[in-house]
Amino acid sequence: MATRGTNRARLLLVTLLVTSLLLITLDLRGVSLVSSVRGFTQTALTPFQSFGSSLLSPIGQLFSDLFNINNTRERIAELEDENQELKAQVILNEDIQGELKQLKGVLDLAGKAKFRTVSARVISKGGTATISETIVIDQGSKAGIKRDMTVIAASGLVGVVKSTTTNAAVVMLMSDPSFRIGVRIAGSQFMGVLSGEGQGIFSLQMLSAAAQISVGDVLLSRGSSGDAPFVPGVPVGKITFVENAAGQLTKQARVQSFVDLNSIGVVSVVLDSLGNNPGDALVPAAPRPAPTVTVFVTPSPSE
Amino acid sequence: MSINRLPTSAGLLLIVFLIQEAFINRINFFMGGFALYLAFTIAWILREERSSAILIGFISGLIADLSPTLEAPFGLWTFTMTGLAFIISNYVRGALDSSISPLALTFVTTLLSSFALILFIIFGAILGQEVSSLGVLARELIGNALWTFVLAPIYVPVAIKTHKVSLTAREK
Repeated sequence: MATRGTNRARLLLVTLLVTSLLLITLDLRGVSLVSSVRGFTQTALTPFQSFGSSLLSPIGQLFSDLFNINNTRERIAELEDENQELKAQVILNEDIQGELKQLKGVLDLAGKAKFRTVSARVISKGGTATISETIVIDQGSKAGIKRDMTVIAASGLVGVVKSTTTNAAVVMLMSDPSFRIGVRIAGSQFMGVLSGEGQGIFSLQMLSAAAQISVGDVLLSRGSSGDAPFVPGVPVGKITFVENAAGQLTKQARVQSFVDLNSIGVVSVVLDSLGNNPGDALVPAAPRPAPTVTVFVTPSPSE
Repeated sequence: MSINRLPTSAGLLLIVFLIQEAFINRINFFMGGFALYLAFTIAWILREERSSAILIGFISGLIADLSPTLEAPFGLWTFTMTGLAFIISNYVRGALDSSISPLALTFVTTLLSSFALILFIIFGAILGQEVSSLGVLARELIGNALWTFVLAPIYVPVAIKTHKVSLTAREK
């Protein structure tokens, strides 16, 4: 009897494994039925994700904050001083204020570049089980969003639209390991390819052996044919470390993105660049040094 | 496994999947994230007989493949979870004492959850998926294991009760 049960289980296992391999094969061969299943799931999930986003937005950072409690204590003293000032603003929802700030920033960036954009809220992120760096936004094909459109935030590039449904879109973040973008260095115009390596780590490979790069250089998107997937001139990041290993044909560097991909709440999808190439106009302004005051004191003659 | 159990089991797993996608994914966990759905499914499979475990593994993998943020080909989680369910039912469940302590169950669930993720990454890499750097993967795995272990007192009892709910009167 036990052998019969074992054989039955093995037969079931083989059947189900073959079925799953068939599903993988169908998906890799681009069968539309299989790929549209995820689109349907996204459509069904969007209302729940929007609800979850509004519900969890204020406590989304709770777990990471708990582990930084020592640093937080030092901040408490500073924050207590600011408490009185903040009481006046308590009537306003801080979360909404943050989103408005991000929205203003991203609209300023899009306006400066004269891009036609549509703004959207981030309603979900890719989970651990997906092993991919993605976010879900609450605007989709109904708002004119299509696959392979550039997604920006207040400080620069966020990623590219991977798929859309009527009311939502999945955006591949620039930190995803499969993400590649052609970039140029603001000013010198040397070109390279930036790739994501997960968790906010980026590497830059220059195309020319003669390219001169240095720490602090700003990278801008080079743009793609027909503006898909990337419109030109969007700030991507700045070089933090140049690798000078012997035997390298071209220079490589580590890059820090302008956008903090872990805390984006509002983004804009570039629907159309309207033929504009902003050149280096979107390069973030360097922080202004604090004004100094010189006081000359002339000693009064002693009596 | 009674065929009557399939819709109930699939429905319950779908609810957990919904919680994962709509709520858990929205929380910024320390060091990576937490795959509640994966841990919950493993805790459930640990309670099942061999054939039922394989079938539940297949259904749970199929549901996991529905995730719209998943880069991997459709069917990869199905393949991984079916194989994992077979391993659990054949080698792990038999080795476990029937009166296993909650702490030991937590350890087993955590280890199997990490093992499932590693299998998924390996199968994905074989199929040509881009893989993050070792450091990033290690961080994700450790983060997930940490939260799977810490939150086990919450989801393991729920998984056990949910499993009981899915049983037919005859199976009970």
